[in-house]
Amino acid sequence: MNSVQADPARWQNYVLEHGQGLDQFWESHLRAKDRNVLVIVGKGFDPRMCRGVEALLRAGGNGKRDVFAISFDEGPTSPSAVYKDRVDGNWRRLQAAMSGRGTVSESSLKMWSEDGRRVSSRSAANVFNSLNDLGDFSDLVIDISSMPRNVYLPLIAKALYLLDSSGNDSAQMKPNLHVFVSEDPVLDHRIRDEEVDEAADYIHGFRGGLEMEATAGRPKVWLPLLGEDQRTQLDRIYDLVIPDEICPVLPSPSLNPRRGDDLVLEYQEFLFDRLRVEPRNFIYASERNPFEVYRQIRKAVLHYLDALQPLGGCKTVLSAISSKLMSVGALLVAYELKQRDVEIGIAHVESRGYKIESDPTNEDNQTELFGLWLAGECYEQ
Amino acid sequence: MKEPRNPFRLRASEHIESDVTFLRLFSPGVLESLPAEAPLDKVHVLRSAEGGGKTSFLRLLAPTVLLTLHAYRKRDECKELYQWMRELEAIGEDGPHLLGVPLSCARNYATLADLEIDRGRQDRLLFSLLNARIVLSTLRGALALKKLTYPDDLEQLTIEPSPSDDLPTGLPFPCNGRVLYDWAMNLEIRVCDAIDSLGPSNLESSPGHDSLMSLKMITPGSIQFEGAPIAKRVLLMLDDVQKLTRRQRERLFQTLIEARSPVGVWIAERFEALSTEEMLSSGARHGRDYGEVVLLENYWRGNKKFENLVLNVADRRAQSAADVDIQSFSSCLQSSLDGTEWQAKFAEALETVSARVKKLGGEKALFRDWIGARERMEGTPREQVVAWRALEILIEREKRRAQKSLFDAPLPVEFLMEKDDSPVRASATLFISQEFGFPYYFGASMLSKLASSNIEQFLWLAGDQFEEIVAAALIKRPTDLTAERQEAILRQASDKLWDDIPKRVRHGRDVRNFLEAVGKFSQWMTYKPTAPNDIGVNGIAISMKDRTVLMERRSAPTRQDLDKLAEVIASALAYNLLEPVLDYKVKGRKWMVLNLNRLLCVRFNLPPHYGKFKEKKLEELNLWLNKGFSATRKEGPLYE
Repeated sequence: MNSVQADPARWQNYVLEHGQGLDQFWESHLRAKDRNVLVIVGKGFDPRMCRGVEALLRAGGNGKRDVFAISFDEGPTSPSAVYKDRVDGNWRRLQAAMSGRGTVSESSLKMWSEDGRRVSSRSAANVFNSLNDLGDFSDLVIDISSMPRNVYLPLIAKALYLLDSSGNDSAQMKPNLHVFVSEDPVLDHRIRDEEVDEAADYIHGFRGGLEMEATAGRPKVWLPLLGEDQRTQLDRIYDLVIPDEICPVLPSPSLNPRRGDDLVLEYQEFLFDRLRVEPRNFIYASERNPFEVYRQIRKAVLHYLDALQPLGGCKTVLSAISSKLMSVGALLVAYELKQRDVEIGIAHVESRGYKIESDPTNEDNQTELFGLWLAGECYEQ
Repeated sequence: MKEPRNPFRLRASEHIESDVTFLRLFSPGVLESLPAEAPLDKVHVLRSAEGGGKTSFLRLLAPTVLLTLHAYRKRDECKELYQWMRELEAIGEDGPHLLGVPLSCARNYATLADLEIDRGRQDRLLFSLLNARIVLSTLRGALALKKLTYPDDLEQLTIEPSPSDDLPTGLPFPCNGRVLYDWAMNLEIRVCDAIDSLGPSNLESSPGHDSLMSLKMITPGSIQFEGAPIAKRVLLMLDDVQKLTRRQRERLFQTLIEARSPVGVWIAERFEALSTEEMLSSGARHGRDYGEVVLLENYWRGNKKFENLVLNVADRRAQSAADVDIQSFSSCLQSSLDGTEWQAKFAEALETVSARVKKLGGEKALFRDWIGARERMEGTPREQVVAWRALEILIEREKRRAQKSLFDAPLPVEFLMEKDDSPVRASATLFISQEFGFPYYFGASMLSKLASSNIEQFLWLAGDQFEEIVAAALIKRPTDLTAERQEAILRQASDKLWDDIPKRVRHGRDVRNFLEAVGKFSQWMTYKPTAPNDIGVNGIAISMKDRTVLMERRSAPTRQDLDKLAEVIASALAYNLLEPVLDYKVKGRKWMVLNLNRLLCVRFNLPPHYGKFKEKKLEELNLWLNKGFSATRKEGPLYE
């Protein structure tokens, strides 16, 4: 057993709340002392964009409450361009909620290079380059509900990196890091990706040693977190990774007890006929607990590292085309193990826009807000 | 590894795990599309849409595959391929003569362009990363070719390039493989770590190179094992070059050409790499300094070779299926409608059509002899109904002729025989299928046509059909697939291709709107009562002059309205949804023909043949793009 396997999991103990529990947590957290809170949101069309900010404001307490909105323009030909009215509506709702409570600032993320390549992942990782950029906030909340994966995954990773690399003796105040996700499987299913990028790529910071020619002979293990209607994405990520071993991750337990089975049925040709995945390779993790996802994936990755050690080890690729909540679990594994020099990466393919299959105005009611506390006071005690 | 249940699902070569399976499934006919002149020397470019077969070429020349082929050269399934490879001088009785060095460009090269350093520095880092990886891939291949272990046996290789100013300083040549490996690995690690860092990158200290110096270190004479060159020739095979940035691609092409290395180079890339302008030129433009640009789909398009190739591929796949014993895939596909199950339906159709034709011919004497000839005709009900439907078309044509006979004398039967040619019969067959719901898209030949010269598309379609064949075999039912089921499966595939366009394709919804207009226009032209185009229309054409206007629209301020059209056509070409033919000469003018992907013909009930198109002005296509096709205007002549 090497040192990585011997080390305890970083998020063995964790704080995860949702629904009323989350409201109570924030009431208590903000009542305990004056706290300055910065919420980072994605400025988008998703009706869940303002849910996190509104919940936080409802919790009361003293201190600053500011919002930093990241806008991402996929260009005038993006299929999402037709939803500009919804974006404006969300923006007005946010401004109204924040009126008299704090400032709202906005920054536009560079999504494309001059020659038309997607650079959003690298841009997102560069939104903040030091803790100083975050200001004097005691709590940083990244609300990923209306952010694409290739934005929030590097953004959270960068925040963790800045907190970890500042050291314990830093004079700089280290804020608590929280993540909000408004989860609604029905609405997620209705928001369909359009114009999926021609090719998948690794999320910035998570290429690991995956593309190293020097270690090209090492086996690659791919753990895709499966979600509905992602066949094109799976094809393209597969073309990037070309794995030797595949361990699909299924959401189970899940609100819909048949969801895992439905996913297997949806991808049976891809998984069994084309890629010849062994049924025993499936990994099951709760769709409502990203720390459980983290634990299951981490265990699998360490198992493969151990088993393939005689062959020089292996490379691991995660791809989180499942729900956003589950994707955070994958990110935590990749982040933790990368810091320990494990060759692990996150492969992803983004789309140029989205299409909402039906009017989601009433679906706001079915949304459940989850909060994850990833770094800060609670882990230092 | 157990045999797969449905081997057609193992699409591209990289999905096939074992070299033996890969060789067994590889059809040697594919090699016909290689450049005729010095295919393993010089710089050659292979371009295609996704699934065109590029990666299979590259895998075929990988060291382990060549070794396996050599070992299996006496086996029936490998004999032909072995002969091909001998003729290419890639292999001989003594073993492989070629060291193929595969290197994917689908890595982090493009990321270099996002670093906040000047372009010159970016270029130098690109070349240093390429040099490191070319060296590493060559060393791995060299050991594989000698059946040694990588990287443990690197000391057994001697590296002794010809003296040159361009070699890296600090490397003591001659040296063993381990020394070169360490140099390359350290170089790669330093660059990769810097570009993937979440913190500040430390690129200033990373060494950069001005050229592809690695080509000098991997020449056939430079790498030796036991005192002899590792192989007679070396071929660097760069795959997925479309994933480099445009500037990187240009710098790479330029450097490879200027290097004039004894190492052969293949550059394989997908059409998506090309700019709208390059795509509109259909990837055919190339410099004078390098060898052929092989456009794989173009090579196969519209000729019988593709059908022979894919049916051979299909037989090989069917034979390797785990649960069934099928030697010939095509024999499982019902190929005619002359079975008893169709007789009654054709008889019913015959009654309807013959009655209609007699009414159309009217009381006049003009068509009396023609109708009489049909009434006397013998043959199966299917043959008869086709003949009657062909007569209906010919009568419609005669009725519309500008000059009519003054005396209404009966048209002679010889005249009917002369006009009743196979294209008219083909139109009649299509019309009948459409009117009475008879299957039209069935049989092995039709299946190969609907693949649109793309091997992956063929495997997809054939895989869907094979699935049912395997299922039938498992439950002990007859394994031949009826024409009806074949058509149903193909229609389902066509719908899937159509439904996936917005998701898969850049400008997907606009592309689909445009294709819908092309499809509906073709349908409208095809199903006119006179079948003026014989078999039908399934494409459009723009003049080469208009194509130039599209390509140069940005420099002409008045033509920027064509931006969207140019992007949409380029995107459709990149994804093989439109198949281009350039410089098609008709009546002294040249055209760029844009054929619909043949699988989309199924959606619009169009025939799958090539060769008929209708010329269009850019303004009209622009209108189609924004408002769709509307059948209101009189159409001009059809070219073929």
